[in-house]
This record gives sequence, structure tokens and C-alpha cells, in this order.
Amino acid sequence: MSRLNRPGPATSAFTYIWLVVAAVVLLFPVLLTALGGFLPSIDLLRQPPNLLGHYTVASYVGALQQTVVPLLPAFGNSLFVGLVIMIAHLVTSCLAAYALVFLRTPLRTPLFWLFLATIMVPYEAIVVPNALFVRSLGIGDSRFALVLPFLANGFGVFLLRQAFRQFPSELRDAATIDGCGHFRFLFTILLPGCRPAIAALAVWSFLQGWNMYFWPLIISSTNNSLNTLQTAVFALRSNDSADPGLLLAGITITLLPTLLLVLFGQRWLVRGFTAGAVK
Amino acid sequence: MSRDDLSTERDVSAMSTVSNTTFTERPPDGPVTLTDSGSVSPSVISRWNPRELLLTMLFLAPAVAGLGAFVIFPLFQAVYLATMGSDILGNPTRFVGLQHFAELLTPDFGAVLLRTAGFTLIVVVAGVVLPMALAVPLSQRLPGMRVFRTLFTLPFAYSASAASVVWLLMLNPAMSPVNWLLQLAGVSAPGWTTDSGWALVTVAGVTVWMVSGFNLLVLAAGLAGLDEQVLEAARIDGATGVRNFTSIVLPMISPSLFFVIVTTTLTALQSLGQPQVMTDGGPNGATSTLVYSIFNQAFHNNNSNYGLASAQGLVLLIVGVLLAAVQFGVIERRVHYR
Amino acid sequence: MRTKLGLLACAVAAATAVTACSSAASSGTSPSAGDGLSAPAAGALDGKGETDITFWHAMTGTNGETLKKLTDQFNAANQGKIKVTLAFKNNYDDTLSAYKNALKGGELPDLLQVYDIGTQFMIDSKATVPAQSFIDVDKYDVSDIQPNIAGYYSIGGKLYSMPFNTSMPLLYINKDAFTKAGLDPNKPPTTLDEIKADAQKLTVKDASGNTTQYGFGASLYGWFLEQWTAVAGAQYCNPDNGRNGRATEANFASDNNVKLLNWWKDMVGSGLALKLDSDTKNGDSAFVAGKDAITLESTGSLGDFTKAGFQVGTGFYPKINASDAAGPIIGGASLWIVGKGKDDAHKRAAWEFVKFLETKDSQATWHTSTGYFPVSKGALDTAVDKQWVANKPQFQTAITQLQSTKVTTATQGCLFGVMPQVRKAAESAMQAAVLQGKDAKQALTDAAASLTQPIKDYNDSVK
Repeated sequence: MSRLNRPGPATSAFTYIWLVVAAVVLLFPVLLTALGGFLPSIDLLRQPPNLLGHYTVASYVGALQQTVVPLLPAFGNSLFVGLVIMIAHLVTSCLAAYALVFLRTPLRTPLFWLFLATIMVPYEAIVVPNALFVRSLGIGDSRFALVLPFLANGFGVFLLRQAFRQFPSELRDAATIDGCGHFRFLFTILLPGCRPAIAALAVWSFLQGWNMYFWPLIISSTNNSLNTLQTAVFALRSNDSADPGLLLAGITITLLPTLLLVLFGQRWLVRGFTAGAVK
Repeated sequence: MSRDDLSTERDVSAMSTVSNTTFTERPPDGPVTLTDSGSVSPSVISRWNPRELLLTMLFLAPAVAGLGAFVIFPLFQAVYLATMGSDILGNPTRFVGLQHFAELLTPDFGAVLLRTAGFTLIVVVAGVVLPMALAVPLSQRLPGMRVFRTLFTLPFAYSASAASVVWLLMLNPAMSPVNWLLQLAGVSAPGWTTDSGWALVTVAGVTVWMVSGFNLLVLAAGLAGLDEQVLEAARIDGATGVRNFTSIVLPMISPSLFFVIVTTTLTALQSLGQPQVMTDGGPNGATSTLVYSIFNQAFHNNNSNYGLASAQGLVLLIVGVLLAAVQFGVIERRVHYR
Repeated sequence: MRTKLGLLACAVAAATAVTACSSAASSGTSPSAGDGLSAPAAGALDGKGETDITFWHAMTGTNGETLKKLTDQFNAANQGKIKVTLAFKNNYDDTLSAYKNALKGGELPDLLQVYDIGTQFMIDSKATVPAQSFIDVDKYDVSDIQPNIAGYYSIGGKLYSMPFNTSMPLLYINKDAFTKAGLDPNKPPTTLDEIKADAQKLTVKDASGNTTQYGFGASLYGWFLEQWTAVAGAQYCNPDNGRNGRATEANFASDNNVKLLNWWKDMVGSGLALKLDSDTKNGDSAFVAGKDAITLESTGSLGDFTKAGFQVGTGFYPKINASDAAGPIIGGASLWIVGKGKDDAHKRAAWEFVKFLETKDSQATWHTSTGYFPVSKGALDTAVDKQWVANKPQFQTAITQLQSTKVTTATQGCLFGVMPQVRKAAESAMQAAVLQGKDAKQALTDAAASLTQPIKDYNDSVK
């Protein structure tokens, strides 16, 4: 069994069989999500679901027309939350990781542990104090309240620290010898060099913000204007029973941006997690 | 897998001074571990330069302020809350000392911890092995590998609730395509969410599915970044098959592997959406993990027992930090950074 | 900071408690602005311009759309005077979480929708104006409200909240399956024994021994246990279902409940009943997909069931013993008007909106669009409603069932501050017995025992 070389025909055949089987098992839920939104419950609620049934856009029309949580403003809110959190994570994590790796930071190890420990803090344990605190700032009903507690993130620091540490020390030494200061090194050499890792964090952070749903609910009090898309999908569920088609249509709508991101951001993600990526 | 994407990285890594003597040991220039005080060439930068100290403060300030105000400060409040009994609205009204912690010394909470351990173990083991079993064949030079890789990462896009809802449909006794397939194979489907033995496995399985996309991506990237010259040299030395994989490939992708293990552990410990949506902790508590229990005490069924929830939250924090300590203290020493 | 907030909330709660006690007596005469929990007079809105109020609700899907429609209608009719803004709060649990959070220093809604089992908690939260207070001030005629429905939300003869979305449990059958099995599709089973007898004929296996259709299948939903108990005329909690003074213990391990769970275990064990969890959505889809031929669900599911590819029939909620003679409890949610921190105009505006939602026309729209049971008796006599019932004759069963149920403490339902936890515990007992094979009596006893401390803690903290 040789790796990274063109394998023999037997190995190839085995590879393809395994991959196809795995793909069928792992991707059927994705297929069900994508097609289910176009099927009436009469096709879905049978064993197995009839994925070649009576195609209709009724569920999508229903999802888009629902007015309990109008989709468009919710979409805007989700986008705002995703983007702001993404940018904030990038800035705060880059700077902190830089200090941890390249600066002679006092208490470096305890500080790193502190960052790491924040990842372990269960969100449920701190959400109530946070809500009280953010409210006491008097911004309870502005969009800013949606993102304020999430501007810094321990995982981002961790991720970039790992990436920065894999930055070849020769390049760092060369830059220092050339008289390159910290800012110039950070912005002209390190960040471009670690672009993939940055991109990976960007995608991850966006997903975190996009998928958030309990916080908007707790923090917004007066109206629906702070609801995110995740809440909108909740609104599609019927109290007493479920029309799977409608639910799947709603899920597909919320998934669309993230699916596209994973599909087209893939290149960046792969490079982001590739060891020692330097241009 | 596209070679264009990755050729640059491999060239660079071939350039860099990787020790090719033995890969289970640290390379001569040494990985930066937690216990190392210096990072890069200590000779170049002088110690405690005031200007640099200022810069350090400046760089750390945003992250420390953000996390301090919204994670660490509330955590102290949680410690305080854990010693308080609350009224029906969740206001801390009376000091109860360690009563909430004493309430944790019950067989019930022991079962919660055990369940959490089982859940985490399943998710971490399966959530690393499965993507690895996909990433390794995907790293071969075969047509179509890039398409497969792209498809396999799609579950990464799902939020916990979206994944749970879709999988509930996949396993719903009325329509389950999974049960249908099993039936074709002559196997009668288990009660995925009704059988207490299966429920935890089901919920863990969905979590594995969710993390598999991201983990595959990281591991595939790690494999793609392998130094082919080293592999070639190993091959000449006669390393083949399983030995090749465990003694050469695994150590070389150990940073990716380590990263995947750490993040999957975290995900597993904090998985709430899956038990909440799929089983609501049932049947009869069989999928009530630590984080579900916290949610249940604090917000579910009109509970607002923030004291007990905070105490459990602190337990989760301690468990998480202990696991991290083990992972960073033990595993990371074996990790081969360039 | 936390301590201060806590103390503040305590002080407020203590202060408002006094007001709440005196509110019924002084209603109408104390137009105090501020934290008063009594109803303001009818003129509270005069000269105030437009009063904006917020309504927190948890209505999803069609229900949410219909609520929006009714709200728009109300806003149009009260332009320049009252404007209601709907705020969707995901579900009942999250609505209450948000409410409790707001009580600690956020902005409270003017009106909120709370599930039936949150009733005692809402009273104890001491921040709302009892509906009775408005009824007394306005001399509002309550005779149009179905007495069984009002019964749930009345404690000590005082109506605390106005019932809104109301449902009742029914037995549903797949008529086609009944006909195929040689059973009379117009004679749904009425007791455990009859369900079992029918299920034996309804269970169908294919050539390889796999069951393609189970006779019976119902979600192990805690609400159902409350219903069986009420139909038997028994108290779910002691004393007196908490209707005369606080209840102190859950009455789970009764002979009836043991009999029920043993029957259920036997049904599942002998392959006559589909094994389901507590998620009613799974139970619903199993019935719609024809996986089981008899199920239990609330009236609200009728709409979806009739879209299935077979004829659906309904029957009274079944009895454990043939001799059981009482009826089920109504479920759903009611509307609570917030008084804490609200001025008279806001309280009055919320009440005006509530009154609008209770009218027979609003209720007829609500009933026919959502399938919920109309709160107003008159709604059933409107043309639109009559036509709807004519199209869905299955609903007549629910009407008859409600009308033939006497209001007693058993059919009013159990009141507990921790009722949501009680329901969840009952559910765990059902799961332990039916899914885990635990001894039924033991499962019920253990579940009741697990509630002793929470009940005591709650009762102590509101003394």
C-alpha cells in the first residue's frame, strides 16, 4: 500500500468502492435536505421516502411567505452577526496569537491556558450573567447586542497560535535580521504567509455566528427585529405536527450560504489546515 | 486531490529543515511546547524590552478584554451563583454554601458523568477514525478524489439543530431510509431513539457525522502537506503498509491529528443541540449528558435552578481543562511540529 | 452586582405581592401608575395617543400566521389608539426563560402567551394583572367562555389568565385500516381492552415477519398520563389537584397508572404497538405514514391527519377502566397581562387586545385556521365555523367530548409551580417502564419521589 503515489488497479477499485459506499451513507441526509424541500409530505412520509415524487415549490413558497419571523430581515441579521463576529475574531485572535508566539510575553503559559480554558466554559453557564450585563449597558435592542459578547474567542487564538508556531523560524529570523519590525513582520510577512489559516478561522467564525440562536432570543425583548435565521426556521415548525417538507425547505434556506461557503471556501480551508503553509 | 493547490506547500516543507532521522522524537530545532519559554531565536530579541512589553499589552488587550468581560467575569458570577439558592425566577436569594456541589455527589450525577464520558469517547474515536479512513484513500493520486473530498465536507455546513432535525427524519420509524436498507439486508432496525442502549449511540453518531466534514478537511490537508521525499526515503528503507502509516505518516501529520482530537473533544463535551432536539435527554435520561443537564437545570421545563446549573457548569469546565491538560501535556509532546 | 439585583427583585416581589393580594378588592378604584397589579379603568387609554404594546408568543407555522392576521386586523381597527407588535419567542419554554430574564431587569412584554402548565408559576411570579381584575372592572361577560376551558385557568373562583389556544386529546383511527381488518370504522375503541382487541386485528405482518402496520402507536408524552388520570376522575396531584391550596405531592403511582403502563408495556412487548419516544412529531408521522392504525393526539393535529392518504376517524380519549366516567383536561396556552412596570394605558391596551382575541369571530377564525378548540361558545355557531365542522366531522367528537365533561378538580387538571418538571418526570416514568422495561409501579414511584424536593423547594420559596 503506497501513499501519495498512483496506486495499482486493485487498490484503486477498493478505494472507489469504499468511497462510494461512504458517500452514499454520509451524504444521504444532505440529499434528503436538498430534495425534501421540494416534496409534499405524502412522498416524504413513506418508507423509503419517494425522492422521485411529486415535485413542487409549495414548501419554499410557504417558507418565504411566513410572516411570524420574516425571512429577509432575519437573513440580514444572520449575515450581520456572521460577518461582524468573523472580522472581530480575526482581529482579536491574530493579535493575541502573535503576542503569544512572537512576543516575549510575560506569563505566556498561564495566559495561553486562560485562553484555552475559555473554550471550555459552557455557554449555558454564562449566558444569563451576560444578558444582564449587556442589558445594563443599555444596548439591549440594538444589533450590536447580538454580537458584543462574542467578539473575542479562545478557539481563534488557539487556532492561530498553532498556525503561527508552524511558521518557519528561518523566515522570522531573516525578517528580524533585515530590521523588520513587529508590525511590518505581522502584516507583510506573517499574515500573508498564514492566509489559509486566517481563512479557515474566518469560515469557522462565520459559521459560529450564523448558527447562533439562543442568545438573540434572550437578549431581544421588544420585537422581532433581532431574530436570526435560525429562529425563523423554528417558526416554520408547526406546534402540533411537522410537515417535513416545509422544515427541510427552511433548513435548506439557512444552509445555503454555509453550504456555498464550505463548497467554495474549501480550497482555503484545506490550505489553512495544511502544515507549514507559506507562500 | 488537486496537486496544484498543494504543491507550493510541499515545496516549502521540503525546503524547511525537517529532521529525517527519526520522526517519533522531536526534530533538532525542537517543537515549541507549552513549557518552552522562548519561541524564535531568543538571541535576536532582548528580554523585557519596555517597548515590546507595551506592544504585547496592546496586542493582548482586545482578546483579553473581550474574553475577560464576557467569559471570565461571568464565570466568577457562576462560582458565586453555585453557592446560592435561587427563588422561582432564578434570583440568587440565599447562601447555601456547598449544597449544590453536595447534590452532585449522587449516583444520578455519576451516571451523567459516565454518559458524558461514553458520549465523548465515541465521538472522539469515531470522529477521528472515520475521517481518517476517508482522508487516507483520498490522498492517493486518483481522478475524482477532489470531488469526493468536497462532498464529504458538506456536513460541516450543518448547525447542530439542522443536523438533528434531518437525522430525526432519517431515523423516523415512519420513513427511515436507514431502517429500510437494514430491512433489505435482513436486519431489523433498532429503536434508534427509543432504545436506551441505542439512544446515546445515535446521538453520538449524529455528532460524528457533523464533525466528520471538518475533521476530514484538516486531516486531508495534513496528508497533502506530507513531505514526499521523506516518504520516498522511508519506502526505500522498506517501510510499507500499516507500518508505513503508523510509524511515518501518523507522526508526520501529528499536528493535524492533535488539532482534530482537541477540537473534537471540545465539540463532544459541549454538544447540546443533538440530545436536546433528538431525544430531549431521554429515554428516561439515557442521553442526558453534562451539558444537557446544565441546560435542563437552567432553562428547560421552566427550571431556573441556576445554582445547580452553575455548579455543573464548573464541573464541565474542570473536566474540559483536565482533558486539555492531558492532551497538551502528554499528546502534544509527541506532536511533530516543524 | 448580582446581589444587588437579587435584592432589588426581592424587594419588588415583596412589594407587588401585597398589591396582588389586594388587587381584586380594590380593582377599578386604584388607578395607580407604576407597579400596580390591578386593572385600570376603561378610560385609561383616553387622550394617550397611540399605545404600543408587545406580545410575546410561541405560535409557529399556520398558527403563527393566523395570529399575525388577527393582530393586523386589530391594529387596523384601532389605528392611532393601540398598536400590537408580535414577538416570536420560539417555544413556550423559551418564552418563559425570556420572561424570567426580563423580570431581572430587562424590558417586559405587555402580554405573553404561557402554556397551561406554567399557570401556577405565572401567578407566583407576581408581575401580572389577573384577568379577573379586568373582568370585574369591565363587568365583562364570561358566560361565552367554555366553562371547562376557563376552569383550568381559574383558581379559587378567580380567572387569572384568558385562555387562548386550547386543545384536547382525542383518539384517532385509520378508518381504511379498520375496514380492511373487518372492524367497524365508525366504532373506535373506548377502553384499553378494546384498543388491544382491535390492535390484534389491525397488526399486519409481511411475508418475512416484519410488521408493516401496528395496531396502536402513541408517543410517550407526559400530557397523556395527565389525561388518562382525569378521564378516570382521579387527582393527578394531592391534595385536590392543587386547586384548594398548594399541592405537595405527585400522585403518579396509582393503581390506574400502573395498570396503564403495564398494558402499554404488554402492547409493545407483544408487537401490537409501535415503540415510540416522547416526541409527538414522530408519533404523528408514524400515524400519517400508516405505521400504526390507532393513535392519541391533540385536536390540533386533526388538520395534518386529514391530509394523510386515508380516512381518519376520531373517538373520545380512551378510558383505563370501562367504568371511568370523567373526561379529559384541556391543554394549550393562555394570555397573561403584565402589570409590573406598566402604566395603566399599556395594561388597558393589552386587555383590549385580549378581549378582541376572545370574541366569537376571532375565535372562529382561530379555530378554523389552526384546529385549536374555540374558547368562545358562540364561535361554534358562526357560519364559518359550522361549515368547517361540516367539512371535518371528526371535530364534532371533540365538541361532544368537551360538553360532556363535568368541571371537577380532576378535569380542571393539576396545578404545581413546577408542573413542567412534573410532566417531564411522568414522561421519564413512561419511558422507563415502556422502553426500558422497568417495573411500572417502581418507575412511577421513583419519578414521584424525584419530585418531592423540587416541589418542596418551590413551595417554600413562594411562602
